[in-house]
Amino acid sequence: MFVNLEQAIQLIEEGKILHIAADESLLAQLPKGKWIAGTTPYFITEQGGITSKDKLFVDEISCAIDYKTVVYNKDNIFDITKDAYPNGITFLIMPFASDVAVFYAKEAPYSDDLLMNPTIGWISGFDLSTDSRAKVYDGISGASYWDKAVALHICLPDDEIASLGIINIFNIDENDTKIEFMEDSLSVTKCLVNGKEVIFSDYILENNIDTKLPLIADYNSVLVNVSIKSVSKENSTVDFYAPVFAGKEYHFARPISDYAESFHERLQEFHDFKPIFSCNCVLNYLYGKLDNKATPPFAGPVTFGEIAYILLNQTLVYAEIVNK
Amino acid sequence: MEELNSKFEKLIKKQAKYESSVLGLNLLISRLQKKYAANQTPEELKNCLQEMESFLKKYNSIVKKDIEALKNL
Repeated sequence: MFVNLEQAIQLIEEGKILHIAADESLLAQLPKGKWIAGTTPYFITEQGGITSKDKLFVDEISCAIDYKTVVYNKDNIFDITKDAYPNGITFLIMPFASDVAVFYAKEAPYSDDLLMNPTIGWISGFDLSTDSRAKVYDGISGASYWDKAVALHICLPDDEIASLGIINIFNIDENDTKIEFMEDSLSVTKCLVNGKEVIFSDYILENNIDTKLPLIADYNSVLVNVSIKSVSKENSTVDFYAPVFAGKEYHFARPISDYAESFHERLQEFHDFKPIFSCNCVLNYLYGKLDNKATPPFAGPVTFGEIAYILLNQTLVYAEIVNK
Repeated sequence: MEELNSKFEKLIKKQAKYESSVLGLNLLISRLQKKYAANQTPEELKNCLQEMESFLKKYNSIVKKDIEALKNL
């Protein structure tokens, strides 16, 4: 729900367990309580996409029978699986460009236990027209961090279980150019294009590739996007918002003419769906001009990266609680 | 669940393909295929099979359809 500061404070004072997203100026005014939060001024509400520093997006986690918040850094982030309840769900928020977020992005696909513990969340961000810094908040202590991750571990009743999903409006043509990388990295110089080694930045510039389109890898039918952050002709580098991995085949996404319509088409099957949390990517919000456009039944923060077990880009992620 | 091990083995060795509607199961299949491809030993295969079995046991209620479909792989 999209609420004002007074309403958010009331929910906290009522002892509700909350996940909150809002601008830093609002989060700094919240009292201590059972909540975690991350910074963003961008949201897709039930009424549509909006940039706001006056309201907070609040998810009440009413399914919880127990909870705990834990703050992590790069050295202990994968303790998240040990700290998770045996039957639960973990909400994880990490600040954009923090060491812990970069480390998680690269290592999560190799974590033995991560898929055994539903972990959903996002990368917190900031108003792109300012030079602000992304932050996360632990409501129990009231502390905020720009260099640490915060998790809200939720224990579910025995007769319920958490299920995570993603909606990726992008697609690939398997016959398109195949791109492979030699190492796991957030920044590359060289790659293999259809098996031939090239300077990736030269390849993108010479072929006029639209860098608003993500690279996509197929993880057993799950299409995982990697968004391009920047291309430097001078340094011959291409930087990404999530890592590319050696041994995976990537293709550039097929162009999309209307993001809102693409979401609308994909959301037809979710009519009676009741997610307890969802978020969508700031690149979808900006490139897709989602201002005033809703994506029912999904509403939530617009984020600088999405987490559904692993770090994702340009993707809507959601969690639901289902009966066993 | 043990009767499914031969099916899981085919999946992990990429000798068969199965696409689930469950995000976690698809990511697990992809991860185990990559893990086994990097170390094709009986011990690694055993580890992968155990991991698959643990996942399906824990999430039995949301992968029931998958388990039935995997029997016919």
